[in-house]
Amino acid sequence: MLSFGGHSNLDIQTSLKKACTADSAAPKRKHVRACIVYTWDHKSSREFWHCLKLLPIQSNDTQIFKTLIVIHKVLQEGHPTCLIGGYKNINWLESLGRFSNNDTTAGHTKLIREYVFYLEQKLRFHHDHRGFNGMFEYEEYVSLRTVSDPNEGFESIMDLLSLQDSLDNLQRVIFSFIRHTSDISEYVISSLVPIIAESYGIYKFLISMLRALYRSSESDEVIAPLKDRFDAQHHRLFEFYADCSSIKIQCTAF
Amino acid sequence: MSTTKSVIRTIKNVANGYSDVQVMVRKATSNDPTGPTTAQMADVANHTYENGEFLEVMDIIDRRLNDKGKNWRHIAKSLTLLDYLVRYGSEDVVAWAKNNIYIIKTLREFQANDVLNTDQGAIIRVKAKELTALLRDDERLKQERELARQKMTDRRTRRKN
Repeated sequence: MLSFGGHSNLDIQTSLKKACTADSAAPKRKHVRACIVYTWDHKSSREFWHCLKLLPIQSNDTQIFKTLIVIHKVLQEGHPTCLIGGYKNINWLESLGRFSNNDTTAGHTKLIREYVFYLEQKLRFHHDHRGFNGMFEYEEYVSLRTVSDPNEGFESIMDLLSLQDSLDNLQRVIFSFIRHTSDISEYVISSLVPIIAESYGIYKFLISMLRALYRSSESDEVIAPLKDRFDAQHHRLFEFYADCSSIKIQCTAF
Repeated sequence: MSTTKSVIRTIKNVANGYSDVQVMVRKATSNDPTGPTTAQMADVANHTYENGEFLEVMDIIDRRLNDKGKNWRHIAKSLTLLDYLVRYGSEDVVAWAKNNIYIIKTLREFQANDVLNTDQGAIIRVKAKELTALLRDDERLKQERELARQKMTDRRTRRKN
């Protein structure tokens, strides 16, 4: 209703260009934030996707990877239409995974493929379950709705668990990349930030949904497989966070 | 140094045609190391009850919140001011803040290092986090505003006696 500061088309173009540079630094928060605020100001993500496609990133693996981080961030924090716009551009996103050239290191190709795959999964999930926002911030009514319809609840928990699994996969690939290269690039580490935020969001959602489901259904046997999967994920998540905290110390030591 | 800066600021205020309230907000959220005083914030809060002036106040705050990392003081002080306005200002401020919550929300990951490479973004991240939590919790917000109103009436009656 009340929005100030007319950010024009040109602004998002420059912000995107600055966020997705070829150097190995992390995408600067201020440029990413400019993109996010832009989508809220205009309540649409069309310009964002449009400018993204015009970026000359295909020739450089670093740039592709950094662009993927930016996309992930905007999907998480941007206006809800970003998720819809992303779903429409899923084919283009897929093409990014094929574009990655093997010229630098083999590890890069795998990183990009895995990231693209995860983003596709995320977009598909949001397409199927409209109640969630990009960050999976806890919203009461979603868990209420799933409780009122146990079948649907079961299904969405299943899908959430699968999403968490592929997130876990991605995290593993990134970590193995970090361990096997001597020079740790800042931008690879920075890709962990949205992953941590998202995995925690999903984790919290799963807890509240499972609790609600337990309360509503009579038999525990039905939910037992869900519980087992959740337990396994809980341990992996715990290890993931432990790994991350060790990296943070390395970061500050530099 | 600081005098030349303040002179330049007065010139800028005139040149850009800011109104009296906007000058007030700019002064409260300036780059001086001392924070906005309660009196300054209370002044601004009173002005948010005027319809035209409300928009002028929010315009400056919006600009300050989207400022560069170098001017992290602008952002930190604007968050302090906005937090005060949400409690003491008019109901419109709450509506504005809720509509534009993404501006505050995205500041939760703000990063800025000064010349000595010390992290100055931490204060902004904490403030943004607290403010979003307050704006999301309608019940608490109502209580806080009630409390603020009580404080104001207390102060007024004390002054009368």
